[in-house]
Amino acid sequence: MEHQFSGPDGPIDVTVEKRGDEWLLGGRKATIERDGRLKVHLANGEVGYATLAKVGDHWWVHFAGHTFNLERIEPGASQSGNDGGLTAPMPGKVLEVLVDVGQTVESGQTLMVLEAMKMEHRILAATPGTVTEVFFASGDQVQQGSVLLAKTEPED
Amino acid sequence: MVSKVLVANRGEIACRILRACNEAGLATVAVFAENDATSLFVELADEAVMLSGETITETYLDQSQILSIAGASGADAIHPGFGFLSERADFARAVTQAGIQWIGPSADAIEKMGDKMTARITMRDAGVPVIPGEEIEQTDEIEALAAIEQASTRVGYPLLLKASSGGGGKGMRAVERPEELLDAARGARREALAAFGDGRVYLERLLTGSKHVEIQVLADRHGRTIHLGERECSVQRRHQKVFEEAPCATMTEEIRAAMGDAAVAAAMAVNYEGAGTVEFLLAPNGEFFFLEMNTRIQVEHPVTELVTGVDIVREQLRIAAGEPMSCGELHIRGHAIEVRLYAEDASKNFLPAIGPLAVFIPPEGPGIRLDTGVRQGDEVTPNYDPMLAKLIVWAPSRIEALQRMRRALDEFVVLGTTTNLRFLRELCDVPDVIDGTTDTTMIDRLWPQGWNPQVPLEIEDAALMAAAIGESAGLHRRSHTSPDAHASAGPVSPFATLNRRFP
Repeated sequence: MEHQFSGPDGPIDVTVEKRGDEWLLGGRKATIERDGRLKVHLANGEVGYATLAKVGDHWWVHFAGHTFNLERIEPGASQSGNDGGLTAPMPGKVLEVLVDVGQTVESGQTLMVLEAMKMEHRILAATPGTVTEVFFASGDQVQQGSVLLAKTEPED
Repeated sequence: MVSKVLVANRGEIACRILRACNEAGLATVAVFAENDATSLFVELADEAVMLSGETITETYLDQSQILSIAGASGADAIHPGFGFLSERADFARAVTQAGIQWIGPSADAIEKMGDKMTARITMRDAGVPVIPGEEIEQTDEIEALAAIEQASTRVGYPLLLKASSGGGGKGMRAVERPEELLDAARGARREALAAFGDGRVYLERLLTGSKHVEIQVLADRHGRTIHLGERECSVQRRHQKVFEEAPCATMTEEIRAAMGDAAVAAAMAVNYEGAGTVEFLLAPNGEFFFLEMNTRIQVEHPVTELVTGVDIVREQLRIAAGEPMSCGELHIRGHAIEVRLYAEDASKNFLPAIGPLAVFIPPEGPGIRLDTGVRQGDEVTPNYDPMLAKLIVWAPSRIEALQRMRRALDEFVVLGTTTNLRFLRELCDVPDVIDGTTDTTMIDRLWPQGWNPQVPLEIEDAALMAAAIGESAGLHRRSHTSPDAHASAGPVSPFATLNRRFP
């Protein structure tokens, strides 16, 4: 069975095969334990237990002391684009807007200051450009993922 | 006499205190904000009263509301925990005036130590060494900024800006160069104002290469003021401690005795009562300087408990009831390490994270203690501090304690919310940590471009395989831990009955 997960360099295709009670991939095999964990035999002969949970479209996996958050791409779904990272990383409050529409900004320049969990977070410009829109004012509450500002991207 | 304790706090520390009261045979009252109605600490109290209001100011910081609940519920003592109202002298005074026992030092002692300038003067007079620094008294933004600029030339660089009435890293900024000063000062003042309602800041020289070492003190009304040895808390990120241990790896008997004496002198200088912590910076040459005194129970108190065998919270209750403390001579046995599990993304500059605790399985076995305020199924929200738990290990030696911590962190499973587990695990392999030569700048020095996990490809591939199997086999539909399972459980049958047969 084939599944797609989003990785840092694009989608990752994973195809697993079921044979009896065993699941196979490359030289690895896995069985499902009574408590829902997986017993995984790695290609190098090592054995480990994976604990899993699905939250929304994300599979969370704990294996060998590492925790993974793997977003499953639904078949046929298009990947959401990224607008240069000018989104709220957390729900919180806008403390200060440091730029105006039409202003040219350098990369690394602070555009907005947010407060979440009693700490300040600075929204920085990843690339140089011109601010085209500012969607929130000081004092506004923002949700996680809210687009805070828009700016032009460098052309090349 | 103390017979019924109201705990004016939430989360992990409320659980710690409620359990201590329970063991001591004291009745308990919890107060909680509406968004904490299903939190663990509410469950652990004999009575729980909901605070009206939405913000922290309207709930856990509302002195008159908490006082009236104490009165109505017949509580004869209030334990403030840490944070919130724990270092508010006005609250300590109001509690005392209401005829309720305050579990902590007097309002006067809190005031003296809470104001960093008064604390410095008091310490200097008591013969305790202090770091070069200056208080900025101006409250007006423009005047304060001018005063900060002037003071910076006297204090020297690098320097540290701190909130005068602060703690917990809020309102704190390290400034390396003069051109960074004004920007940092504005941010520090703003954060201080938001967190403590007081925008005043304090400048002090940043002593690089130093260890953060603190002494736990206890004082009762029967003339005893003692110390319980030191804790080292040098490993910090964003000025918040993440890895704490007792004893300090490089401590000598001479420095411990001198530092202990200084801490006891500090406590006695303000007629201290109860548990408190005197923080010092320990320079590489063995010189140490007073940083501040925390007039409350501290987050990292368990490491001291594990190496001294003293139950510090139980002693607080005993001392507040007017009894003498029960501990005898100081004996430090073995080694203890605590790490703070935060809901945060260590690879994104420790940005706080939120989400469900779909799976929360703490490690078990010998020498392991977990202090937490959450359990599986809880939701991590942006409403409060992102600390989920403290994992503390004890072992006969420092090397064994580190080995035990590695094992415990490998076993710890938290799914559904990003945590700093892997960061903590990698910390245990850092040569400075292994050698005990940690200092307060270690994290910034080791990962100047930020931290990223080192994941072997084979492990990552196995995780992808596991996720693919989970999806193919529909494990999320049959797993008892999945949030979906609750939603699909359906309504309760109206025909369910309880049949109890009596003989």
